Amino acid sequence: MNNLLIEKTTDTPLIDFNIESGIFKIEGKSYPENTFEIYAPIKEWLKNYFEETTNTKTIINIELVYLNSSSLKAYFDMFDIFEKAHENGHELEINWYYESDDDIMEETGEDFADDFADLNITLHTID
Amino acid sequence: MNISKIRQIMIEDNIIFSFSGMISQDVVDFLIQGISKQLENDGNDKTTVRSMFTITIEMLQNIMSYSNSKVIENGTNYSSDGIVVIGFNEEKQKYYVVSSNEINPEDKEKLINKIDLVNSLDSQELRKLLRDKLRSAEDKHDRGAGVGFIEMAKRSTEKLEYRFEEINGKVYFYFKAFI
Repeated sequence: MNNLLIEKTTDTPLIDFNIESGIFKIEGKSYPENTFEIYAPIKEWLKNYFEETTNTKTIINIELVYLNSSSLKAYFDMFDIFEKAHENGHELEINWYYESDDDIMEETGEDFADDFADLNITLHTID
Repeated sequence: MNISKIRQIMIEDNIIFSFSGMISQDVVDFLIQGISKQLENDGNDKTTVRSMFTITIEMLQNIMSYSNSKVIENGTNYSSDGIVVIGFNEEKQKYYVVSSNEINPEDKEKLINKIDLVNSLDSQELRKLLRDKLRSAEDKHDRGAGVGFIEMAKRSTEKLEYRFEEINGKVYFYFKAFI
């Protein structure tokens, strides 16, 4: 399978999933209209990756400045995929970055960390 | 038409931004960037800009979801006409976003139930409801996960205001949030 690279647009984030390094990056804003269509292939790619990869560890760096309500659901579904991968023995390190004065994204990160308590999710502030 | 009348209204009501027309995602992208820039230039703190960003996007995307007539042209969805106005309320010293659009009368009850529910909850209850909704996501209205009003209630500094108006047999949804 190939790496997944989707450039950022006004309303969708950069998706840069690199198989060789095992480092996945999501960066930007997410408020598209057709959220389901945008994220379905990304979720599909992730499922395939966790089935096929021989990587011992995957690092997922998420730096989102804004998520609209339908994108929240898409990310919740992605965390679901991460949780299943974790249950199947994959080692995952998830880093959730938010601007230090952004209560909203801090709260979103905390909620993901609570809802997916078995996952190794760390919150980090950026200035 | 007399455009100075529109200007007069905008000055009297402290309106900083207004839009009337068909709404598509392109319009959302354009408006949201313009509004954010304007609020930043006016020296507002990031929290205000972020709250405005959230409420305006959810409001516009709601108009697209609940719009009565939709036109699809070259793969782009256009809602029926909507009006969105952003202003500053001197008395409260707060920004507000207000919208009005034609809806399908069948959606009226659904809108009432959603807004009344979020208006009855405090911030911790809203946070919990959001998490419950995301986990179950039983509400699959159009493209959203049914959590748009929860997001708006979380960012709004007052209860969400709404009413329905009937004009020439059409039902219009009026909605207002303070930031």
